[in-house]
Amino acid sequence: MAMRGFKLNTQPLQLLTQEQVEAIHQGTLKVLSETGIRIEHQEALELLSEHGCQVDFQKKQVRIPEYLVENCLSKVPSTFLVKARDPKNDLKIGGNTVYFTTFPGMRIVDLDTWKSRPATKKENADAVRVLDALENLHKILCYTPYFEVEGVPPVMAISESVAAKIRNSTKFQLTGYGRHCELFNIKMARATGCEIMGQCCASPPLTYYEDAIESAFRFVKAGLPLHISTGDIFGGTAPVTLAGALVITNAELIAIVVLTQLIKSGTRLVVADFVFPQNMRTGSPAFGGIECSLHHVAFNQIWRGKYGIPTNIASVGLSSSKKIDFQCGYEKTSLALLAALSGANLIQLHGGVHGEITYHPVQSILDDDIAGMIGHFIEGFEVNEETLALDLIKQVGPVPGYYLNKEHTRKWWRKEQFLPQVADRLTYPEWLKKGQKDALVLARERMEKILATHHPVPLSPEQDKAIDEILKEARRYYQQKELI
Amino acid sequence: MTDEIVENLKRAIIRYDTKEAEIWAKKVVQEKLDPLRAAKAITETIRQIGEHYGQGELFLPELVGAAEAMQRAMPIIEEEIKKRGEKRETLGRIILGTVYGDIHSIGKNMVATLLIAAGFEVKDLGVNVPPEKFVAAVQDYQPDILGMSALLSTTAPEQRRVIRILKEKSLRDKVRIMVGGAAITEKFAQDIGADAYEATAPGAVELAGKLISD
Ligand code: B12
Repeated sequence: MAMRGFKLNTQPLQLLTQEQVEAIHQGTLKVLSETGIRIEHQEALELLSEHGCQVDFQKKQVRIPEYLVENCLSKVPSTFLVKARDPKNDLKIGGNTVYFTTFPGMRIVDLDTWKSRPATKKENADAVRVLDALENLHKILCYTPYFEVEGVPPVMAISESVAAKIRNSTKFQLTGYGRHCELFNIKMARATGCEIMGQCCASPPLTYYEDAIESAFRFVKAGLPLHISTGDIFGGTAPVTLAGALVITNAELIAIVVLTQLIKSGTRLVVADFVFPQNMRTGSPAFGGIECSLHHVAFNQIWRGKYGIPTNIASVGLSSSKKIDFQCGYEKTSLALLAALSGANLIQLHGGVHGEITYHPVQSILDDDIAGMIGHFIEGFEVNEETLALDLIKQVGPVPGYYLNKEHTRKWWRKEQFLPQVADRLTYPEWLKKGQKDALVLARERMEKILATHHPVPLSPEQDKAIDEILKEARRYYQQKELI
Repeated sequence: MTDEIVENLKRAIIRYDTKEAEIWAKKVVQEKLDPLRAAKAITETIRQIGEHYGQGELFLPELVGAAEAMQRAMPIIEEEIKKRGEKRETLGRIILGTVYGDIHSIGKNMVATLLIAAGFEVKDLGVNVPPEKFVAAVQDYQPDILGMSALLSTTAPEQRRVIRILKEKSLRDKVRIMVGGAAITEKFAQDIGADAYEATAPGAVELAGKLISD
């Protein structure tokens, strides 16, 4: 039985008319067949060429014909199962299911000074342990969440991160790629009886470098699912107009849909929307910008709605704010809610603070309440004889009628109401007496409690040893290449 | 007439009009106007636009637009300066690129734009630049400064490799080296033997000025 996640029990929010969706689709086909995509990978170029693409091997530019696009889009499963280390944490991705996942950060942020620094190995493991405990967090993303961990050589960062996630959580995970670390990451998943999702990321506009494509080949050939992503920045690496940016994102993603389905038809894919407006003052992506949502909502309509391929809305879990504060809260909540309402299958919400630069487990705990709120909302409520409660209303009548003491209330209230774990909901006098704590303080307390009490199911000694061996092998490999 | 041509050239830059900038730069040459004077007018214009950007009145699209118009006009003027055996005063020549294995371009582009706007001559080698290409560029262009960007800690060591090769070829002393990018720290910069580190694009402009005047 897969994790249930949340169900969007209503028509997805849509921004575009059918004609507009069609215009974007047709525009995408035109870009793919006329401008094409640059793919720096010989085997990919050859495969695409064999299947009717027009390939300029010198420029590494591939023009993809419409029939091939339509054909490959139709081969991607619209729902599929992925296997976690603990079968109760398997995921059934697609349809109207919404799962929440993490957003990483390069370093840990200090909750007092708000400055960042590399995490320690223990902090890294602890951050994963917190994620394992959170009830509204269904999948863990690449990096553990930190990229910079003390004592971990940079080339080992991703593989060490995979190991830390396998050891400290039984939830399903996605992994990054680069410098051939995929080889070791796939081995670790195999050794512990779970699946792992790979990643392939465009370098916008319209380009894929070798490491990204190599990662796609490795995961697809291993029969594992793949997460494909872009990184378009409106007005920077993509047109500043949302319609044009959607065409770019579509073209970049479809190229990999085609490639993966040619390598192995039916390969399980998640398409990710990782996009930002360009901050025209600093040149940085404008994290948390509401324009992200305009793109996300249209993206869900096109990908889940028209193409029937599960979506992951990525540019949600990171803010322009450097602190866990009001701005961070409103940016993340607004974007996550709109993603959920428009039919996202996965939403990257938990833990990220500033711009993929910082992360904190306390933030993941706060986000778990946001996820719970949103999940509660999109599920809607039941309307039937019992919930209409006409008999009860008749029985209770006007004042002094009262509902708190009724069986109906006891039966239904937990289902009808969402209870946040760390929001401050005390009355004012109680709040004064109990130390005037806010959500941030309460989240810190919850983190301490989780760390003191939550112990994920450990690996068997053999599995643990296997992970050690694979990490050793990776280290030897990088030492030989003089990267360590 | 002279004034009018130079004024039109300035106006083309203020209007981000690359075509007009090219036309009026060619006119400068045709009409045999003083190319040094035209070059100075161009740099002053772009510097003013840079100031407006700094004060928050203009934004990046405008700044980049003006920089591109300038870059269309300048080579034409420069060729003429060379022909006359004269030399243009620039703040300095800088080579920029993102290191091998790293495709992050946004920060590097930002640094390039602000440097150009401040009046530096910038040669951008792009992203995923192999060490040999950096070294060849140092040899060929003889820049005052080499700037390297790295956003990945896995590829940051490429900066060290570039510096090592420069030393092997006895080129290290001929160029100042500044580094930046999300994965770089002050300490790392010192460890690999760079001359300086900077975390922001406006800071990179100040730093470049300082490195050259030192
Ligand atoms: C946008 C982005 C992308 C886009 C890039 C698009 C593009 N064309 O550039 C995409 C989605 C493609 C991408 C891909 C990847 N990314 Co990325 N990306 C980012 C992100 C979110 C923003 C980078 C950015 O543009 N910032 C805005 C600019 C203005 O800032 P900046 O680059 O830092 O530059 C400023 C200063 O550093 C300085 N500066 C920069 N260069 C120079 C040079 C000199 C000489 C000087 C003086 C100053 C200077 O001035 C600039 C202006 O202020 C960062 C996180 C972050 N916030 O930094 C991650 C980040 C850089 N990415 C990261 C990673 C890991 C990757 C991938 C490897 C992911 C993967 N495959 O698993 C791939 C890289 C593939 C490759 N081979 O390079 C990590 C790197 C971690 C680390 N320490 O190594 C980061 C930090 C995120 C994280 N979770 O940790 N990424």
